[in-house]
Amino acid sequence: MSAGLVSVLFVAAGLVAVGAFISAWKKDLTAALAGLPLMFAGAGVAFAGASRFATPGGPPAFGQEVAALVAVAALALVALAVGIAGRGTSR
Amino acid sequence: MDSLHAIGFYVSAAISLGGGLLVAFLPGRGARGFALAATGIGIAGLYVSLSAGFSGLVALVCFAGCGLLLAAPAYRVMDVAVAGVWRQLGAIAAAGLLALLCYAAWRGDFVHATFFGGAINSASVGRLFFTRDSLATEAVGALILVALVGATAAWRLRDRGR
Repeated sequence: MSAGLVSVLFVAAGLVAVGAFISAWKKDLTAALAGLPLMFAGAGVAFAGASRFATPGGPPAFGQEVAALVAVAALALVALAVGIAGRGTSR
Repeated sequence: MDSLHAIGFYVSAAISLGGGLLVAFLPGRGARGFALAATGIGIAGLYVSLSAGFSGLVALVCFAGCGLLLAAPAYRVMDVAVAGVWRQLGAIAAAGLLALLCYAAWRGDFVHATFFGGAINSASVGRLFFTRDSLATEAVGALILVALVGATAAWRLRDRGR
């Protein structure tokens, strides 16, 4: 059993699509925010996979760095959006 | 990638995608937050099997934070004033995006190379953060600052409105 760049990109595509699906499916805007970190994680997995498999001359840690940055950015955006949504009604 | 890493990769992919679907379909906010944290475990496993352990740690912490934020008692509902037809179109567009990305991955002609990095490699990542890509790091730092200030301002406005 092995996994290559195509498998990684398939999983990354799945994560982006599931994130987009959550954002489109949820009626409540705050619940739809949960799709955001998944879409960002899909991009991060694609970067990490490309860095792992397909960069002959580039820095090997570049994809890892971008993946960490997008994860932190997703957390910041969710915090901001939950704060803004805090003026709604509790359920 | 050897068999052990490949098995870890596929198991982590199943956990992350399954967790994402649970986030979409579970009814309560607590259950959704828990499912999001479980998704984070799967994504961290994906990173570890791709020899990106440092990113895995960061993703684990960030997903746990997102899960806590979305499951916390401060959670408030904001209903979208968009017709159901548009939301269904959005869901169909998500399926179309998946098909397009899968086709691109399948038809892509990629270069194969030898990997020289380590399992965690946090020193190399730190060097990139503070030298070559310091501008991007500062941009994300500024985003976090704006997000925290914005969230604090929003919460204060809510308390003042009561």
